[in-house]
Amino acid sequence: MDAPSTTPGARFVDPKVLARIGSLNLLARTVVDGFINGLHKAPYLGVSIDFAEHRGYMPGDDIRFIDWRVFARTDRFYVKQFEADTNANFSVMFDISRSMNFGSKGITKLDYGRYLAACLTYFCTKQRDRVGLVTFDDDIVTRIPPSAKHLDVVLHELDRIDAGRPGALAHPMFRATELFKRRGIVVVISDFYEDPQAAVDALKPLRYGGTDLIVFHLLDPAEIDFPYDDAVSFQDIETGRKLPVVPEKLREQYRALVQEHITALSKLCGENRIDYALFNTATPLDHALFKFLAVREKLSRVR
Amino acid sequence: MAFLAPLFLLGLGALAVPVIIHMIQRERKEVVEFPSLMFVRKIPFHSFRRQRIRHWFLLLLRCLAFILLIAAFARPFFQAPTAAAVTSGAREVVILLDRSYSMAYADRWDLARAAAADVVDGLGADDRATLIFFDSGAEVGPRSMTDRGSLRALVDTAELGAGTTRYGPALKLAEGIFEDSSLPRLEAVLISDFQQSGFESASGIRFPEGTVVTPIAVGDEARANVSVAGVLFQREYFSGRERVAVSARVTNRGGEPVTGLDVTLELEGRELEALVTDLPANGASTVDFAAVTLDDAAMTGAVRIEGDTLPTDDVFHFVITPGQVVHVLLVGHERADAEAGLYLERSLGIGSSPSFDVATTTIGNFDASDLAGRQVVILNDTPPPSGAALAALQGFVEGGGGLLVVSGERSAWTSDAGLLPGTIGSPLDRDGRGGAIGFVDYSHPVFELFGAPRSGDVTTARFFRYRPLDPAESAVVLARYDDGNPVLAERRVGSGTVLLWASTLDSFWNDLALKPVYLPFVHRVVQHLAAYVPPTPWYIAGQVLDLAGQPGLAAVTPDEAELVGVSPSGRRVPVTEGERAGFLALDEQGLYEIHDATAPGDSLLTLAVNVDLSESDLTTVDPEELASAVTGRAGGEREAANAPARVFSPEDLERRQGIWWYLLVVAFCLLVGETVVSNRLSRRALEVD
Repeated sequence: MDAPSTTPGARFVDPKVLARIGSLNLLARTVVDGFINGLHKAPYLGVSIDFAEHRGYMPGDDIRFIDWRVFARTDRFYVKQFEADTNANFSVMFDISRSMNFGSKGITKLDYGRYLAACLTYFCTKQRDRVGLVTFDDDIVTRIPPSAKHLDVVLHELDRIDAGRPGALAHPMFRATELFKRRGIVVVISDFYEDPQAAVDALKPLRYGGTDLIVFHLLDPAEIDFPYDDAVSFQDIETGRKLPVVPEKLREQYRALVQEHITALSKLCGENRIDYALFNTATPLDHALFKFLAVREKLSRVR
Repeated sequence: MAFLAPLFLLGLGALAVPVIIHMIQRERKEVVEFPSLMFVRKIPFHSFRRQRIRHWFLLLLRCLAFILLIAAFARPFFQAPTAAAVTSGAREVVILLDRSYSMAYADRWDLARAAAADVVDGLGADDRATLIFFDSGAEVGPRSMTDRGSLRALVDTAELGAGTTRYGPALKLAEGIFEDSSLPRLEAVLISDFQQSGFESASGIRFPEGTVVTPIAVGDEARANVSVAGVLFQREYFSGRERVAVSARVTNRGGEPVTGLDVTLELEGRELEALVTDLPANGASTVDFAAVTLDDAAMTGAVRIEGDTLPTDDVFHFVITPGQVVHVLLVGHERADAEAGLYLERSLGIGSSPSFDVATTTIGNFDASDLAGRQVVILNDTPPPSGAALAALQGFVEGGGGLLVVSGERSAWTSDAGLLPGTIGSPLDRDGRGGAIGFVDYSHPVFELFGAPRSGDVTTARFFRYRPLDPAESAVVLARYDDGNPVLAERRVGSGTVLLWASTLDSFWNDLALKPVYLPFVHRVVQHLAAYVPPTPWYIAGQVLDLAGQPGLAAVTPDEAELVGVSPSGRRVPVTEGERAGFLALDEQGLYEIHDATAPGDSLLTLAVNVDLSESDLTTVDPEELASAVTGRAGGEREAANAPARVFSPEDLERRQGIWWYLLVVAFCLLVGETVVSNRLSRRALEVD
């Protein structure tokens, strides 16, 4: 009988269940190891080791992989085969504005983002990338520069952060361009309560600096579906402003506006070659890892 | 009336919910925190008026549907039911009789049949019984019989099989019979030697609640068993004749050593040589017989040991097919260098399965008579044959022969003569380090050997000169040089195959002949051209053989012949299916023969079938363990005599009555009605607004 392909219970675990695991390190290991065990061998294992071997050139091979030094020595075409590309700088830019402290289903966006960032960081450490973290609200709050030894520092920082001030993207993103001088991969985790054009304008300088940007747009299911029934006053967490609302009457319009916002963000990101993915906090973390891996795979191919 | 899940009735309290909502819905004073009101602010403000009940009929309809839904979930049933027949003591008995070949051990089979006969004799007047014989598969007799005479006849005429023990299929059949039965008492009697090897197949089978399983173990704990585990053939050629030395492997699964065991080799039914060997406890030994010279036809043989308590595995049958020879005609050029065909000849001189019989001639002397008895022709750097010889060659290929054209200095084929896979061009020189093979179709039989890692690399050879090839439309290019020119192309002509190699197969134009892959490459090319299929010396009982792929039947036209398989016990099985040779189930140990019923004579094909030796391991499993596995409880199997009459549990009663289903249907109808009425009312309200 075949052995089970994953760590039992680790894949597609409800984030609420994961929230009961106290240690971020253990949580990340549970998700990522289960996720890696479940992968097929061929397409992904290969994203971060080293030169594997030479193979004779065959028509159809990408000429960029021809080893010209070997050609100079032997007068024959050989292509280099890599099991992976070399280490990359990987950083998470994590929005810790007050709106992230919202959760209707037992887990807040901040917690979900915390787990997501921990998993991605742990995953990248396993791929031997250098990992770092930047947290921001309307300004940069903390910064851990990318390093191969910073996994514990990042996890510790993620563990202690708390949502505080209202958020805004423009200023922290502008400052971040100063921080990411070297090419690398930056994952931005935020709920993007901004005008889509303004949000993407804020991200552009980072992208044009040569950094590969992946945007994870976190939303709570309640923010997407607006499942409220009672006519009550709604209070904006960030501004404190109250508004009497009859959810039954405005639910459809609200949903349409949110979808419009998501579509606009997605489209604008696409136009600027920024990878965009929407996650609601009920989605298992593995889905985020799959998305990240797909992008990472794509990036490694074009190097 | 009772309910299986009465707690669901608490849900009736929920009936008050819609009424309360209708009556007290109002704006609440509490505040809901929300991450951002960015979107809400964009929507115009709405107010609402206080709700009150306006359509009592609609509310009634909804409440009724809700009540029915809750009642359905509570699973109602009537307690004084239809169970009049339940108190009857009639039994549904399934007798499972193991007929795997291990039951031939000592007197196990007789004991098993006697036990089955006892069970049949003990059946009551109202009892019904089914007999299931099983080994690796299961065969069921007439279901639920009441005629004890017929059951006894089935037991008395039962015969041992050649299969291995697998409890799974038989138990699954019994499970189906029990599930279909309406009798109140269910009983299974499992008569077997309870070999451990078949236990795993029983997992996942569970008899209905209350089934009594009575295991009857025949035989004892004895495990001593000597068997012939297999044979090996060592072929050699002596004075131009093919000889085969047979080695037999004999195993002893008992805890005691065996000394002075007679091992006999038989060929064509005649004893040829007898040797004596000793076997250690739980060990094995190899017995090497002297080489024998083979006839021209296939020979049947067997290795036997003196009979022990399990005779079935004391013999191992096989078929030795002689002359696994591919006849090759190597055609060279009169003025060719003496070494031109040297590498080809030497490489074809090696090999025994198959071996290659190589005749040589020159293109000037080549004529139709040279093709007699040949399977493959190699034109090694020659121009095309002229006139009648070319026509004969064409006929040879169309009739199923193979042709390899090796191009070189003298391969000036001005046209492809309807044979070649393409047009050969003028020689082309590669400067410097020469060219190499850049593309190989590893899925083709010629190259599939080299497809796996570390299985030889054909791309290491250097090609300094070759002839460019313009492939024909019907040709398939199997390999190309690194500049894209084809190096090996294939074309089907009639029933035969033509391969064109666009360089030499010696060391003049390339150094392939000096590479390790040369020998297997040449062998694979010739075997492919000769459509060589290695014969199978024996099969395992239980296999199903597709006769269409058998080389021995290649000369038979299925739509004219009527193929019949004759089993070792003499049973005749027609095996022609439409216009092709069909399938033959090899379920007996010994020699199967395939005959053509329309042309009496010798058999067209003989197949040796041996038993699966996993059955020779007589280690047993505790019968109680198997009984527990299928009943889900321990130790209940001995209650057969006093088993209480089957009383239907509330679950059974509820399942049989199925009232919930009707309630759901009515609730659904009410909900449909509610939808129609509420739609109509809404529309009217809109019109009024």
